[in-house]
Amino acid sequence: MTPTDTFLFEAESGNKDLESVGTPAVRIDGRDKISGAAQFVDDIDFGPGLLHAAVVESPHAYARIVSIDTSEAEKADGVVRVATGKDFPYKFGMYMEDRYIFAQDYVRFVGEQVAGVVARSHREAVRAAKLVKVEYEVLTPLLDPKAAVEDGAELIHPDLDEYTHVPWFFPKANTNIAHWRKIRKGDTEKAFAEADYVLEDTYTVPRYAHCAIEPHVTVSKLDFADRLTVWTASQSPHTQRHLFAEALAPLGFTHKDVRVITPYVGGGFGGKAGVSMEIIGAALATLVKGRPVKLRFTREQEFYNTYQRQGVVAELKVGVKSDGEITAVEHKLYWDAGAYVEYGANVVNAAGLSATGPYRVPNITNDSLCIYTNLPPGGPYRGFGYSEFHFGLESHMDRIAEAIGMDPVEFRRKNAIIEGDELAYGAAMNPSGMLEAIDRTAAAIDWGVEEESDNPNTVIGKGISLFWKAPAMPPNSSSASFLKFNEDGSINITVSGMELGQGYLTVMAQIAGEVLSVPVDKIRVETPDTDRNPYEWQTVASHVTWSSGLAVEKAAIEARAKIFDVIHQVYGYEDDSLYLEDEKVKCKTDPSFAKSLSEFVIDGIQTEDGTWRGGPIVASGKFMPEFTNANSDPETGQGGHPNVHYTVGATGVILEIDKETGRIWVRKAALAVDAGRAINPDLVKGQITGGLVQGLATVLYEDMRFDDDGKLLNPNFTDYKIPTAFDIPDEIIPIIVEVPQPDGPFGARGVGEHTMIGAAPVIANAVYNALGVRIKSMPITQEKVAMAILEQSGN
Amino acid sequence: MVIANEFDYRRPDTLGEAIQILSEASGSVRILAGGTDVVAWLRDDVIAPDLVVDIKDVPGLHDLTFEDGTLHIGSLVTFTELIESDVIAEHAPLLAEMAGTVASPGIRNRATMVGNICSAVPSCDAGPVLLAYNATVHLAGPSGERTVEMSDWFTGLRRTARTDDEVVTHLTIDPGRHGGVYVKLMRYAGEDLAQASVGIVVSADHDYRIAFGAVAPTPIRSSRIEELLRGKTLDEALIGEAVAMVSGEISPITDIRASAEYRTHMTEVMLKRGLVAATERLEGTGPAYGTRLV
Repeated sequence: MTPTDTFLFEAESGNKDLESVGTPAVRIDGRDKISGAAQFVDDIDFGPGLLHAAVVESPHAYARIVSIDTSEAEKADGVVRVATGKDFPYKFGMYMEDRYIFAQDYVRFVGEQVAGVVARSHREAVRAAKLVKVEYEVLTPLLDPKAAVEDGAELIHPDLDEYTHVPWFFPKANTNIAHWRKIRKGDTEKAFAEADYVLEDTYTVPRYAHCAIEPHVTVSKLDFADRLTVWTASQSPHTQRHLFAEALAPLGFTHKDVRVITPYVGGGFGGKAGVSMEIIGAALATLVKGRPVKLRFTREQEFYNTYQRQGVVAELKVGVKSDGEITAVEHKLYWDAGAYVEYGANVVNAAGLSATGPYRVPNITNDSLCIYTNLPPGGPYRGFGYSEFHFGLESHMDRIAEAIGMDPVEFRRKNAIIEGDELAYGAAMNPSGMLEAIDRTAAAIDWGVEEESDNPNTVIGKGISLFWKAPAMPPNSSSASFLKFNEDGSINITVSGMELGQGYLTVMAQIAGEVLSVPVDKIRVETPDTDRNPYEWQTVASHVTWSSGLAVEKAAIEARAKIFDVIHQVYGYEDDSLYLEDEKVKCKTDPSFAKSLSEFVIDGIQTEDGTWRGGPIVASGKFMPEFTNANSDPETGQGGHPNVHYTVGATGVILEIDKETGRIWVRKAALAVDAGRAINPDLVKGQITGGLVQGLATVLYEDMRFDDDGKLLNPNFTDYKIPTAFDIPDEIIPIIVEVPQPDGPFGARGVGEHTMIGAAPVIANAVYNALGVRIKSMPITQEKVAMAILEQSGN
Repeated sequence: MVIANEFDYRRPDTLGEAIQILSEASGSVRILAGGTDVVAWLRDDVIAPDLVVDIKDVPGLHDLTFEDGTLHIGSLVTFTELIESDVIAEHAPLLAEMAGTVASPGIRNRATMVGNICSAVPSCDAGPVLLAYNATVHLAGPSGERTVEMSDWFTGLRRTARTDDEVVTHLTIDPGRHGGVYVKLMRYAGEDLAQASVGIVVSADHDYRIAFGAVAPTPIRSSRIEELLRGKTLDEALIGEAVAMVSGEISPITDIRASAEYRTHMTEVMLKRGLVAATERLEGTGPAYGTRLV
């Protein structure tokens, strides 16, 4: 059963010339942002009653809390309230309830919240937080995921088997394994035995930080009618409302009592998905009724107590025939998931389902282990596990191609997964433009043409890598939209996806505008307020163009049906003879007929007897992927249809390396992604550029460094380096492939996360191509390259 | 951003008042000029002074002049002012080359070169260049004015020859005809602290003054390499001899920014490329000032 077979709603297709979809429409949030009119949480004025919160944090990676003395803090100037775990003995979590609002008996990472102080000013809150005395019995932290799965390792969560979790997680009681995603397909052992060449190696990827320009911030207020409103910088307003309502249910809250308002957000990259620090602010507000409480994280807190991208040790074994056919993949992923895995365990799950990469592989053994460690909680980060395992996988593919004497591009072309091929979990691959992506990327970097540097100190290398990724979502995650016309024929749309800079609001306007023949600049799409805007699961997984786009498309089609119905009632034209063009209703059978939307979408149309028909045109749409299910066999991963579809593509680079210093310049980078249909090609190019640069940063500059006690050593931009304008490729060539997704809005599928996935291995491959040095751990810094060259030359 | 600790703040209008405040102060005192170090350290609780004395209103500390062969750089002159100064471009373009590697434009707009050597972190960019220039530091204190040669300025990690009751008023440099270079190892092309750096000034009579940053508790001169090269014309073999001496001259550490081995290796590479560039610049050729060599 493919998605197409069961899809109940026939999406608008490219049967007619498109006016809005496929055009580089100007962003509808552009003027807001350029003029400064756009408001972010920190811009909202809450008046002089606003209180400020500060967090008391654990200095230890693992310790038992012996006692907490808040008496001095409570007496400090300006302090209104001090709270500890005793005030909120409630668990919460996205996919697994393993977190507390404040630490209870144990702290499990450096920076974990132990208490909160609410004061009249931020400074008073910070001062008082220093007066909270916490006595700890310090325990030895587990910092290495492979050590944490050894027999006899200390249990970070001894009560794991009692934790509530989604049905597709398989925790192992009395271990530190919070989830183990297995795929067993075919006979891997036999395939390796029969393979002509087998390569086995280990690749390591450290932890990374999202580094959104806007740190997490939340303002929460419990009013005197017991209504909790939370303003957050978030990717997930409805999910946050749900988790707040669930976690605080013991206090009497229900969903209707909780309201989340999410204005513009200064970047998310996954870090603002789910609930992290926001629960602290929401909980504290319940103790100071009537007063809003602001909790704004510092850049340091942003690094160590939101989510981090998980580190992974990847043990990979691939077998091939001498003609280059891949016959078996065995991929063991040991994830350093951190102290709490309520969200991160699903990253592990997603990676496990797809750890073959975008290849046709008949025999598969995937083990993706979510392992508790005493490091900060892992969580979603653009790429959602795929960036991590692609580093090793795509490095491995180059090495195998070389070993069997095959061109790396040809090797990938031969094995690339295409429509109808069987996926690791048994379902069929969706239509994709993988081969076109490979060919166009290779052409863009003149693959096969060796280039020599004019500079005697430098060498030039080329590399290529493939990528794929599916949205990782619960099978019933859904989107909804409301649409209403205004007197002048303009439109307001409400949705609850987030404008994260990717251009989501503009794309929703383009989809509605296409159906209703209304130009994008006459459509307003607003950021969410859970009281007013309809449901959206989250703005993650690169799914909103597809999922929320379908909900908007359906709302527009419903509105169009209502419009045609009015015309039919008044003029008698059959609905199927009517169409919309240039903001007018026109009729195929009567070319003289044209009725402007602005003439009737609010006030209706007067009939010959003086009465009126119609009235305000309002509509709604919803979408749920009804063809998915997560009911696979825990031991084999077979039987379900957990992923809606995959987006694929290829990345290629030409780089130049200084042989003495190890410095790398990316001279040209090309990235082809199959967008199905680019609703807005400029925005897709923006995603390609941004994702590629973010991915290159993870391989060239960034990584989180912890000391032996589990303390993060670089929670700042002094020592955690993200690229500046000086550090981006000289040239980026965005390539948009368009093989339509049959169930997508106008054929579209998501591309946002995918654009960073291929960046790390493509650098590894190009460095090898230039120097003959294979680096198997990220990042590939200039230091690592220089030292490898020295080692290679025997110095 | 919040600075949680309490401190007194004074902003004197004259140099005399500043010195008086400093000499009468009890407890710990910090002088604030650009504030790019002090404010960050206050915010991070790296320092917790009882008193902060802001010298930005003190007249006379902002001069940037060249008279009778001597360059005078006031203690409030910022890195941006060095980059944009015609005087610097004409007489000491090496200072602009160095200033261009400091942090980012926003920081350079506020940070002062004198503040940089007063903070005296091992990686301070101004240190190696001012050492190579044989700059003189001018101080004013309760007992009058005095000078300290750059070679005596750094006394230890984050420590200088300045006493707590003194204000640095300015620096002087007699640049003469020279070629210079500042080569800085950074983890990327964006703003970064030096993981290692080399400052070189070559005079017309082939006197080579060479200093290293971030490879010892303070920026250091290398008298042994200077002696080796003094008066000689460089060739590949001589440069090779100089480079071979580097590891004996420096004592880098391994930390999260770089390993000792890489710092040493890069100091060698930077000395090699720097000597060539500085010599070429003396002759009016070579890469333009501001060109990155690594």
